[in-house]
Amino acid sequence: MDEMLQALLLFWLPVAVVPFGVWILLSSANDQRKSFGRILSFLGLVMVCVSPWTVPSSPSTAAGHLLGAIIGPSVLIILGIYLISFSGNVPVGRLPRSDRRLGIILSSVGFAWFAGMHWWILTPQIASGEINVYWYVFWPIFLLLTTCLSSLAAIALLTIGDERKNESNYMFLLSGLGFIMLLLGLNVDGPLMTTDDFREHLWLAVADLAGLAVGSMLSILIFALVIFIYEKTLPPPTTIEAPSVTELKQVANVIASHIGGNEE
Amino acid sequence: MIGSRLAVTWRMMALAFVLPLLLILAIEITLSSGIQSFDRDVTFTRFANATLTAYTLCSIALLGNLFFYGESRNRPLAPLVGMLCASLLGVAATLFFINQGPMLLENNGSVQAQAIYNIVHTLVSAGAVLLAFCVSLGATFSVITSQKRRINFTLEEE
Repeated sequence: MDEMLQALLLFWLPVAVVPFGVWILLSSANDQRKSFGRILSFLGLVMVCVSPWTVPSSPSTAAGHLLGAIIGPSVLIILGIYLISFSGNVPVGRLPRSDRRLGIILSSVGFAWFAGMHWWILTPQIASGEINVYWYVFWPIFLLLTTCLSSLAAIALLTIGDERKNESNYMFLLSGLGFIMLLLGLNVDGPLMTTDDFREHLWLAVADLAGLAVGSMLSILIFALVIFIYEKTLPPPTTIEAPSVTELKQVANVIASHIGGNEE
Repeated sequence: MIGSRLAVTWRMMALAFVLPLLLILAIEITLSSGIQSFDRDVTFTRFANATLTAYTLCSIALLGNLFFYGESRNRPLAPLVGMLCASLLGVAATLFFINQGPMLLENNGSVQAQAIYNIVHTLVSAGAVLLAFCVSLGATFSVITSQKRRINFTLEEE
C-alpha cells in the first residue's frame, strides 16, 4: 500500500474518529448510539496508540507513541484527583473516606511516573536513545501551565473565596512543586534529556501557549462576529395585535375556572 | 468601589498566572546573565505556526458548532458560509506563509510536511493544555472538598 494512503487510513482516520465518537456519545439520547460512539472513540484511540507499529514510515505517528506513553500517568493522576475530590465533603456521590488515601497514592504515582520520564529511564523513545520529539512539546507545556494555573487558582481562592486561606496554601504548594520541577529541569540532566534540551523547549512552550491562546481567541472572535452580523441582518419579529375585549373575557373565564380549589 | 476592587482582583490573578514564568526568567537571567538557548527566530516561527494552526483548527471546530446553532434558526446558510470562509482564510494564510520560505518552515522539507507537523504539534500541545487544566481545576476542587464542612447558616433558636 502507498505510504500516504497507509498513513491516511491507519493514523489520520483514527485521529478523526476519536472526536467523532465523542460527538456521537455526547449528542445522542439513544443508549445504543451512545455505546456506538463510545466504542468508536475507543477503537480510534487504540489505533492511534498502535500507529507507530502499523505505519512506521510516517513521522506523525510519534504522537500516537507519545499518547501510549502518557496515558498511564495521566489516567492515574485524574483518577487520583477524582477519588480525593469525591471522598471529601460533597453533597452527592460521596465515596468512602478510605478512597482519599488511595487517591493521594494514585496521583503521587502518576506525577512520579512523569518525573521518571524526565530524570529516569522511562523517557518515551521512538528508537533506542532517540527521544520522541513530541515529548519535548508535551512535558514543558504541561509543567509550565500546571504551575501557572495552580498559582492563579491559589490567588483566586484568596481573593474571590471566603476564608479559603488553607485551600489557597495547598494550591501554592502544588504551584511550588511544579516550579521546583521546572527549576530542576533547567539545572539537572536526565539520562536522555539534557538541561539545554529542556531549556530550549521551555521557551518554545511559552511561544506555543501564546500562539494557541492568540489563534483560538481570534477564531472565537470571528465566530462571534459572524453570528452577530447574521443576527443583525434578520428582520425584526412581527408584532401581533393586542387581544380584543372578547378574547380577554374568555381568558379571564378560563383562569377563573382554574383557581379557587374549594370545590369537590 | 466594587468595580475598582474587581479590577484589582483580576489584575492580581493575571499577575499570579504569569508569576512563575517571570520568576524563572528572573532566575535564568540572574544566574546565566541572559536567556540561554533562546533563539528569537525559532521562537517566532513556533509562535506564528501555533497561532495559524490554532486559528484554523479552532475555526473548523466552531464551524461544526454552527450545526447546533442552525437547529434553532431553520438551518441558515449565511453564517455557515461566513465561518467556512474564515476557516479557508486560515488554511490559505498558513499555506501562503509556509510557502514564503524559511520564515515558517521549521525542520521540515516541504509545505505539506510542515502543515501536517503543525497539526500534530497543535494536537499534542492541546492535549498538554487539557491535562494541565484537568490537574489544576481538579486539585482546586479536591482541596475545597477536603476541608471540614462549613455551616453557612445558623439556625435561629425558637
